[in-house]
Amino acid sequence: MSRFSPLWRWGGGALLLIWFVLPLLPIMLWSLADRWPTGDLLPTWGLVGWREAYGDHMVPALLRSTVLGLIVAAIAVPIGALAGRALGWQIGGRHPWSAALLLAPIALPPFALAMGLDVLLLRLHIPQPVAVVVLLTVFAVPYTTYIVRSAYAGLDSQIEDQARMLGASATQATRKVTLPAIAPALWAAAAMAFLVGWSDYVITLIIGGGRLVTAPILVAASASGTGNEPLTSALAVAVALPLVAALLIGRLVRR
Amino acid sequence: MGSLRLLAPAALLVGIVSAISIISIALTAFGLMPLVGQPRLSTDAFGALSSDLWLGLRESFVIATTSTILALILGVPAGLALVSVSRIRAALAALTSVILPVPHLIGAASIGLLLSGGGVLPRWLGVAPSDWPALVAGSFPTAIVIEFAWKESAFIALIIAAALSSRLTELSEAAAVLGAGPWQRLRRVTLPMAAPSALAGAIIIYLYTLGSYEVTWLLGRSYPEALPVLAYRLFTSIDLTARPQAAAAALLAILSAVAIAGVGIAALRRVGVLR
Repeated sequence: MSRFSPLWRWGGGALLLIWFVLPLLPIMLWSLADRWPTGDLLPTWGLVGWREAYGDHMVPALLRSTVLGLIVAAIAVPIGALAGRALGWQIGGRHPWSAALLLAPIALPPFALAMGLDVLLLRLHIPQPVAVVVLLTVFAVPYTTYIVRSAYAGLDSQIEDQARMLGASATQATRKVTLPAIAPALWAAAAMAFLVGWSDYVITLIIGGGRLVTAPILVAASASGTGNEPLTSALAVAVALPLVAALLIGRLVRR
Repeated sequence: MGSLRLLAPAALLVGIVSAISIISIALTAFGLMPLVGQPRLSTDAFGALSSDLWLGLRESFVIATTSTILALILGVPAGLALVSVSRIRAALAALTSVILPVPHLIGAASIGLLLSGGGVLPRWLGVAPSDWPALVAGSFPTAIVIEFAWKESAFIALIIAAALSSRLTELSEAAAVLGAGPWQRLRRVTLPMAAPSALAGAIIIYLYTLGSYEVTWLLGRSYPEALPVLAYRLFTSIDLTARPQAAAAALLAILSAVAIAGVGIAALRRVGVLR
């Protein structure tokens, strides 16, 4: 089979690699730098950024982000899994309205919904952290629903009937037959929902009103303010690295 | 369990929270839910803000359009490279899947450190900060577009690779046997196979970039502001009368998103992705 000329393959490939790598390099280099004198190709290595990040209450902020991600996943996965079952197996019809409604948050700007909800909080006496969790869950549900939906769509719905014929109860059929089959999708859904909570900035900013200090809030405050590159980069790496590590471990495990 | 009981928790949560948020934004924008004083139906917020609103809307559409186009220009070839027999395939696959979970805020922080005067790129190129073009906070939202296109081109690459992985080799070999050269196979076989996924991805990116706050705020200029940035600044203003104006900007962002989603769904129906 004739192929593209080497110029296209190598030149194009090299440009693509540079395009994807270059934007990540500044935080990687600066997070391990004390200073970067003008004219030097590489910075003067050091850990001042991490020391300052620790003093900037990075650890409690990372813990808050973790808890936020876990709570969002704990709510969005079960309700998304139920909806995904109905949509994937088309139980009682195709449900076009529910299918559309459960995709809608993908189109809606999070900042606008956060403002609308925030205006109501004072009137409804809802605590801010609860409202943050509720709205983040709304934005996580499309992912959890549709990830589980495609797992159900790829699974023959008669699998539970067959288990029932062999004597299993309805609960047993779901628990012992269906759940193991869709378990990978449930984990993927949990990862996506966790990501929504872990990486959110604007909903926490608007509804949390500066009182719920998560890791992204610290990153944004440092990036927009001080001009302190080592601090900004250390905080940014602390937010991104666990996700990248989890993903790479996941890839290795699947192999 | 009946289908309604399965769908109800998710549908009620999404439906009720979205509806009350949008209604409260609309009521606030039209003066019916003031922080202080009597509710009074008015369009003052839109009038007081008209030029800023249109400039903000235009800025948001410029950002969304250029980001989406650039994400496709870079993401489609990357997706093709992911399913081709090439030596960079493994590196590219690892990179794109690493980029996917990195939050946009982190990308924006890093690209700010890359492209600003005194950033990493001018340092490496040996350009003095004063001679470096204003890519961050300049008159064109260059850094914003690059951040969006960077992350979303990885997304496009992965969905295109997923769409092509099944039958491409087979069809491509058939075309080669029939005498098609590499460019002809690209145009007649590969791109038509990738097009529906690319379209769906482009719509998702367009909607995301239109309504995203943090990248635009961190890397953008102070005037004119994109709609989300304008809305948030007014929302947090100490002048309480700015609230309806903030809501007006947010409402305009919601309506734009709904309009674009409508166009997108119609386009997906046309190419047969949606029934």
